Amino acid sequence: MTPTVVHRWNRTNSIVLAFLTLHVLMVIFPFVWMIYSTFKTNREFMRSVWSFPTSLNFDAYIGAWSGGALGGYAVNSLIVMAGATLITVLVSTLAGYALAIYRPRWMPAVELSLTAAMAIPAYVALVPLVVMLRGAGLLDTHLGVILPTAAFNVPVSIFIMQAFFNTLPRELFDAGRVDGASEWQIFRKVALPIARPAMFTVAIVNMIWVWNDFLFPVVFINNPARKTLPVGLTDFVGEHITNYPVMLAAILIAAIAPLILFIYFERQITAALIGGAVKE
Amino acid sequence: MMRADIGFAKRHNRAALIFLAPALLFVFAFVAYPVVYAGWLSMFQWDGASAPVFVGVGNVLRLAGDPIFWASLGRNLLVALSAIVFQVFLALVIAYCLVRIVPAFSRIFLFFYLVPVMVSEICIGLLWRFMYNPYFGLVNAALKAVGLDSLKRGWLGESDTAFLAVVVVMSFTYLGLYVLLFTAAVRSVPESVYEAAEIDGAGHGRKFVSITVPMVWDAVRANSLLAIIGSLKTFSLVFVLTNGGPNHASEVVSTYLYKMGFGSFEMGYAATIGFAQMVLTALAAWIVFRYMKRKGDA
Repeated sequence: MTPTVVHRWNRTNSIVLAFLTLHVLMVIFPFVWMIYSTFKTNREFMRSVWSFPTSLNFDAYIGAWSGGALGGYAVNSLIVMAGATLITVLVSTLAGYALAIYRPRWMPAVELSLTAAMAIPAYVALVPLVVMLRGAGLLDTHLGVILPTAAFNVPVSIFIMQAFFNTLPRELFDAGRVDGASEWQIFRKVALPIARPAMFTVAIVNMIWVWNDFLFPVVFINNPARKTLPVGLTDFVGEHITNYPVMLAAILIAAIAPLILFIYFERQITAALIGGAVKE
Repeated sequence: MMRADIGFAKRHNRAALIFLAPALLFVFAFVAYPVVYAGWLSMFQWDGASAPVFVGVGNVLRLAGDPIFWASLGRNLLVALSAIVFQVFLALVIAYCLVRIVPAFSRIFLFFYLVPVMVSEICIGLLWRFMYNPYFGLVNAALKAVGLDSLKRGWLGESDTAFLAVVVVMSFTYLGLYVLLFTAAVRSVPESVYEAAEIDGAGHGRKFVSITVPMVWDAVRANSLLAIIGSLKTFSLVFVLTNGGPNHASEVVSTYLYKMGFGSFEMGYAATIGFAQMVLTALAAWIVFRYMKRKGDA
């Protein structure tokens, strides 16, 4: 590879770099500010809201965590996240495999329906879901949040899995058929083992989506002991309106889990987001 | 299927159905059925507790004459429009810069642009409430610093600026997703195309307009559709920033539905709002899709 045109670093590059840096700083400034402000005392904060802390002070974290409310919300979020992610990954892997491998005549209709489902705003289903969940005795329970949340994340997850299975050569599965293996055996023995990384990717993005979800938990759960973190956080903030560093520490606690996942699994997450969007 | 797979065909159909069944069951039970149910509920007046009263098209007529609903829907469309300009188009420009001008830094920039995409909208909204704070907010402090004291105001609390303030936060929040999607698309444009243009002396502006934009047009179309769908779904940021206030000045359909259903307990009317929104969403998506398809063919 011999480039015909030699790219040299010039003034354009420097200007673009400067602009992008400025812009990205604007985008992430609220987060940077949140992080350093949590190390201030409330008095320090009130004296000058935007300055750096003069010393490292962890009182805000102690204040936010004490009382146990946030810890309880986090546990609820973990339960909902684990349940919804598990369901979504299992059913989406099966369905994504079927969409990629089998081509019955009715398959395009299924694909179209799933695409349409992806475009439906969750709030359209809100009132009916409340009625259904109440009828089933699932209002105010974790399961009542888990089931609809999983369902709304299933279509896009299916398409991510389908995109993965599409990259595999057909012969991989045909070989098993010639040997007389059943379709289920081929799925279990051939597809499932190689699909693990893709399933993991789908799991990671679903964990982030469910963790951050707000609409279903805020409507379906009233019992403070069962609230998830984003919903509980809005309560917490209302109660700690006078102590800003504590409030910011609470926000940081709610934001930290997805950020850690993102830092560790950046590659998988970006791949999943691209895979899910290409479908539309 | 050209080979002698015919014997397998029946078996395949059954396997496909069985593998799809759990997913389809979930989507049917918690997406499709509730949506249809919303259409049914829209024919009743109901407070969620006592017996529902059948009102036929009463709710639809009320909705048709409800200025708050139409203003909310209009705001959803404004959100979509601003998303196409300040998220999709801006992201395309940024993606071009990252891939073609400062590739060595593209990964780190992309990482930071994606941070708000990962964090809960509730956290982001709560943080921006500080930025907009009328007394010590950064926005007012910045205006004061550049001598524009007269523009200082309580951004989220005043009806003329609340919606604008929310839209600005949305633009910052979701931009990263489109930067990511466009970075992938811009990278896939073959180097040789650019080299040919460079030999002809084309600058970045020229290359962006005549090469990148046409070559990634499919992605522009897909991402615009994504932005429109996302804009019609928007809820959490508006809820936490203004809750549609003051006096409905930043109301969108979702916050209006939430208030009607779970503030005023007008469940039937809330279902009507949602159902109407879905029908209109489908219509809007269909029109845009058609329009862009025709443009793509031309």
